[in-house]
Amino acid sequence: MGAYLVRRLLQALLVIAAVVFVVAMLVKLVPGDIVDMMAIGNPAFTEEDAERVREELGMNRSVVEHFVVYTAGLFEGELGNSIRHRQPAATLIAERLPATIELTVVAMIFALVLAIPIGVITAIKQGSVVDQVGTALATLGVAIPGFLLGILMIMLFTVELGWLPPSGRSGSVVVALYHSVVELDPGILWESLRYFLMPAAALAASIVAINSRLIRSTMLDVIRQDYIQFVRAKGAPTRVVYIRHALRNALIPSVTILGLQLGFLISGAFIIENVFAWPGLGRLAVEAILWRDLPLIQATVLVSSIIFVALSITVDLVYRFLDPRIDYARR
Amino acid sequence: MPGGDSTHIPAAADVVEARPSFLVRFLRDLVRSPKGMVGFVIIVILLATAALAPLLAPHDPTLQVLTDRFLPPFYAEGGSVDHLIGADNMGRDLLSRVILATRTSVTVALIVIVIIMVFGSAVGLLSGYFGGMVDSLLMRLVDFQLSFPFILLALLLLAIFGPGFSTLIVALSVAFWVNFARLVRSETLKLREAEFVQAARSIGVSHAAIMIKHILPNTLPSIIVLATLDIAVIIISEAAMSFLGLGIQPPTPSWGMMISDGRNYLYDSYWMVLGPGFAIVVTAVGINLFGDFLRDTYDPRQSRL
Repeated sequence: MGAYLVRRLLQALLVIAAVVFVVAMLVKLVPGDIVDMMAIGNPAFTEEDAERVREELGMNRSVVEHFVVYTAGLFEGELGNSIRHRQPAATLIAERLPATIELTVVAMIFALVLAIPIGVITAIKQGSVVDQVGTALATLGVAIPGFLLGILMIMLFTVELGWLPPSGRSGSVVVALYHSVVELDPGILWESLRYFLMPAAALAASIVAINSRLIRSTMLDVIRQDYIQFVRAKGAPTRVVYIRHALRNALIPSVTILGLQLGFLISGAFIIENVFAWPGLGRLAVEAILWRDLPLIQATVLVSSIIFVALSITVDLVYRFLDPRIDYARR
Repeated sequence: MPGGDSTHIPAAADVVEARPSFLVRFLRDLVRSPKGMVGFVIIVILLATAALAPLLAPHDPTLQVLTDRFLPPFYAEGGSVDHLIGADNMGRDLLSRVILATRTSVTVALIVIVIIMVFGSAVGLLSGYFGGMVDSLLMRLVDFQLSFPFILLALLLLAIFGPGFSTLIVALSVAFWVNFARLVRSETLKLREAEFVQAARSIGVSHAAIMIKHILPNTLPSIIVLATLDIAVIIISEAAMSFLGLGIQPPTPSWGMMISDGRNYLYDSYWMVLGPGFAIVVTAVGINLFGDFLRDTYDPRQSRL
């Protein structure tokens, strides 16, 4: 375990170093003069401004020098200044990051809470109407892109029914949860959570579809195993057989692909944020691309990558606790 | 499909069974599977629409008619049969735009799938056949890329080249080639040790010939199944990028961009979203059904994911 952890951390450092290198080199890779491109349509942008930005971006430095200066800056928390927002990129990201993390985590919770019971029930009732409806919904769930589902939900729950807000975010759900518990007022939590419902559901939908199918098929495999027959034969109640003995082992493959889905979830969050005007990193990044705000793109990609790498390591270590049989030494 | 002397199927067996041609067998399997049939019909319609788009479109998809702005579909009050599913915020015929956007989506998907099939298979073949250092390095890269968020790679490329058609093709290719590399590598690893490959090697067939004539044809069924299922994912990803304004650029119509336009008028002109949305979902469902059928019939070893 210790050796595995060390190797995993070294790998992660290597990945982060590679990302830093690519991100730093962005300045050199963009064809043409980016500063001139940024200046288009901005008459207040003088030649002195352009020269200052070029200096800031490190366009006048050599490749090696630029990489060293850029990396050194990172250790001091220096992520460059957004040209469009006229603020340090670090400040902008710090403002938006919690929104993205909360959205992703709430979506993941949605996905788990829905996928497990759907998978178990469709497996137990294999071939029934419930199973067939599940199959149909899963087929649809994989085929419908999250951004489209989000818009369809806005049409139903906002435009038609008027139940939920179409966009925006009303503060942190964690803070709301805290206040709601302290003041014994569930209304506070709801006020924050109602903004989360549609974006998180749109983000979770395809993962629910994939995972519920996976849990269903592994459940079906497990139920046929000898040890399950044995538990049944010794007279354990059906519920105990399914939940305590079968589900436990059926969950392992789903947990294993959770790591792969993390990247998918982050990509999805970046897209969904733009559907619901969610004030997170995804919107910031898309705006940065459209405005050709290079320092801001560099900073968002870098921060997102580091967070992603850190999360993947965490997920890896969580498996270890769930399934001690996983032999890390051999990977 | 594989047949003849280059595969491990003994030639004698073919003669004894007198197997019907591949096309006959394929059609027989297809007719037996309702799922496969539905998917197949949808794909044929999709390809025909893409190929004949300019002929099928009732109007010029870029023609803006001021008096037609926000024209509702034919069944709604004020709608007209001339514009079956209505017109958009600029008075352009929605049906014509959905039809032309079909061509855009299919073009992007086919270009990307050809690139990643060739590149991914080549990498997988070399990596699996020769093994060693190169193999382990490549597989590290593949493992990493499989989990790395697609959007971050796309953002890097967008930052360099700016949004546009070629950036979109490059971004999607970079994002999806790894699936093929992994698949072909694992098949190659198995086939490398197969008796017919050993036999070929023992009579002095060159490495290149073994890879291309003996191993590659046997991985084709798996490659085709993966390619089919991947096309759905590519079409959805293209739509998502275009929705964000980072993919296909106006005036070329695309489903993602049409949905993005419609998003601003949900309260009054919901139909702007329905046409392209329906097109995406039907396309993806059709391709997935057909892909599932292919996998169940020709490559049952591939798991559900």
